Amino acid sequence: MPIVFCAIAVFAVVFGPPAALYSQDGLVPNLAQQCQAVCQDTTAAWRTVAWQTDLIDAQNVAFEKQQPLFIWAMDGHPLGCT
Amino acid sequence: MLDRESTFADPEILALLKERFVPVAIDQWYTRRQQDTEGDFWRQIAGQGPRNDFNKTTQGMYIAGADGKLIAFNNNRGPERLRKLLQQAADDYSHPAGTGLIERKKVDAKYKIELPEGAVVIRVSARIEGGYEATDDKWQKLFQSAVSRDNLWSTIAEQKLLAAGTVPEDLALRIARFHLVDNTRGEPSTWTVEEVRELELTIEAGKLSGTAKLETKDGKRGFDATLRGELGFDENEKLIRFNLLVEGRFWGTGQHTMKPPSGKFPLVISFTLADGTDLGDSIPPHASRGWLDGYLFPNR
Repeated sequence: MPIVFCAIAVFAVVFGPPAALYSQDGLVPNLAQQCQAVCQDTTAAWRTVAWQTDLIDAQNVAFEKQQPLFIWAMDGHPLGCT
Repeated sequence: MLDRESTFADPEILALLKERFVPVAIDQWYTRRQQDTEGDFWRQIAGQGPRNDFNKTTQGMYIAGADGKLIAFNNNRGPERLRKLLQQAADDYSHPAGTGLIERKKVDAKYKIELPEGAVVIRVSARIEGGYEATDDKWQKLFQSAVSRDNLWSTIAEQKLLAAGTVPEDLALRIARFHLVDNTRGEPSTWTVEEVRELELTIEAGKLSGTAKLETKDGKRGFDATLRGELGFDENEKLIRFNLLVEGRFWGTGQHTMKPPSGKFPLVISFTLADGTDLGDSIPPHASRGWLDGYLFPNR
């Protein structure tokens, strides 16, 4: 498995960490926008529900509020990968 | 994935969940295995339903009382059945007498995956950019336009190496093995170390660039990708910017990711630093299930 890891560290050795790492100069044009364009819609309706992520915490809330639990149980976390 | 776009896009269901239920979302892969208070409570509830073999999946939607008594189970696609179940359960519910707060007496450390101190969370999303055959099926349309979500974790030691201009081998291999995947239609198959045929990732002046060639031994699944990104750090060498875009041609399926486009198809994966404002930011990486070290040190 030919894995190549390169480090361009000349500036780090001679002048300290590369200045570009600490400034806006290192930005790739439009990259942040391109990355954002692939992300999930953060305004999706299901995200407006205050999902608990721990069943015992949720039971405690259900007890206090005297409401039933609704449990969305998946293979993979419902708020994550599935 | 389909539930998000159908069941949980239904205004009546959302209103019921917000006003008359305590909604909770769990990865039952963890919960049904946990030998602790939470696992016991889950097995109590799920054990009353049709999926009561805890060596198999218990996934589904459950309505239960605070006493753990199962009221209803649903695993149907679409909102119609669930809407009725929720309405009926909300109308009929009376707080069970004698029920108390459950005290957490035991936590199963094996399944308690926590973000290492100083580590950062990077959101990872993937989307297929084309290649599907046209369809009129509404569920297939949802699959075809799906955007996946996972998290990449990067340790404090890795951030310091990145700030010094070195790509840590563990981080590069973690990205390749666990995050350069097609998880747009379900849980992905990740890559073994041997399936990472080539991986090059370099930093120059804060810019990341590289290539990856991933392929199973039988050649039935693979990904040829290019990577380009940009990094930024604060005065303590903590990542404050991480944008990485991976573009390439993917082919093949995994056990839970059937029906991809035929042949090689364009797959785009983006990585952006999480700010903690998203519901999914606190979810452990999918590949960390049950063995965080195996995720953090992917050469093992």
